[in-house]
Amino acid sequence: MADPQDIPQHDVIIIGAGPAALSAAIYTTREDIETVLFERGVVGGLAAVTDKIDNYPGFADGVEGLKLSEELRKQAERFGAVIELGEVTAIHDEGKLKRLETTSGDMLARAVLIATGSDYKKIGVPGEQQYYARGVHYCATCDGAFYRDKRLVVVGGGNSAIQETIFLTRFASHIDLLVRSTIKASDILQHELEEFVKQGKVTVHLGTTTDEIVGEEKFVTKVIGTKDSKKVDFPTDGVFVFVGLEPNSQFLKPSPIKLDDIGFVMTDQHLHTSIRGVFAAGDIRSGATMQIASAAGEGATAALKIREYLEDRSHPVQN
Amino acid sequence: MVKNITIFTTNTCGYCQMVKKYLGAKGMTYEEVNLDEHPHRQAEAIDLSGAMTVPVTVVTKQDDSQEVIVGYNLARLAPAVA
Repeated sequence: MADPQDIPQHDVIIIGAGPAALSAAIYTTREDIETVLFERGVVGGLAAVTDKIDNYPGFADGVEGLKLSEELRKQAERFGAVIELGEVTAIHDEGKLKRLETTSGDMLARAVLIATGSDYKKIGVPGEQQYYARGVHYCATCDGAFYRDKRLVVVGGGNSAIQETIFLTRFASHIDLLVRSTIKASDILQHELEEFVKQGKVTVHLGTTTDEIVGEEKFVTKVIGTKDSKKVDFPTDGVFVFVGLEPNSQFLKPSPIKLDDIGFVMTDQHLHTSIRGVFAAGDIRSGATMQIASAAGEGATAALKIREYLEDRSHPVQN
Repeated sequence: MVKNITIFTTNTCGYCQMVKKYLGAKGMTYEEVNLDEHPHRQAEAIDLSGAMTVPVTVVTKQDDSQEVIVGYNLARLAPAVA
């Protein structure tokens, strides 16, 4: 291990650069609290790979996820936030300083905000891993363009699944939407989807499980599902999966930071984790609503709590 | 040493922006092939990567050997362009 004197030290390190992280950075840097963010994936997180965001306040006509992410980034950088493209692999509590192992070497921070968000879950069926990126996809805005005039299957019934199904209609000739139980998406998305159902672009299959993804040679040819206890084949050129979210908290498992049963980070009402000086906000937090507006709000709250903590005015950690 | 870099992208791909941002921060130039504007080049991207996804970054070295990086994968991209 390097001599602690040689390790770069920051006031705040934010792990992640999604809406919670960038909102927090806007607040900390405007308070002249030096802040570095680490992002291993895309700046903006899942928001950046979402076609259109219709429920983020302030955008009457909705906003493209990529554009919102870009604006958040610019705003944070305007006040001095520094975004490092790299990964934090471990957090160590060393009292007043936290030591982070990163792909750029060890870093010390007086306070840490975990805002690593979540990622789309896998279904866990045969063929899913085998045909990943060769017919099985989790990012419609990245990979949808490969399916011009082709048949698709979308798996899922929540907001993401319906939003991305609507996006994919601009490419696909037809989409079979496989929904395990019923559609849980917001009414407005369901109304929008209904238009494509009427046009014959989308067929919704409620109460249908996805059991296997089958291909020939390199690419996917069909999905096998079950409806009313009967096996059903859905011929397709590709499958897009949106069946919920899982936390990006793998790197925290060896640390003393308490996670819930699923792996989301547990915090008190001040967004403090079980390590003093380490906070969490956004989708990664246990109990989060998984909404971009909530994540931005939590980021702002976390920044204010971090300021209190750095000024030694914060509440004690509740374990 | 890198001779040239080509990135296959689409308009809506957030990970494509990250690859461009990373190379831009390193001061590296690249050719961008936007598959929304040039859909006829999709097959080329699929042949090179074996995948139906973007970004696909093709790094050609001075000896004309090629390294193909699928997705935004810093662990592979960084050494490929070093």
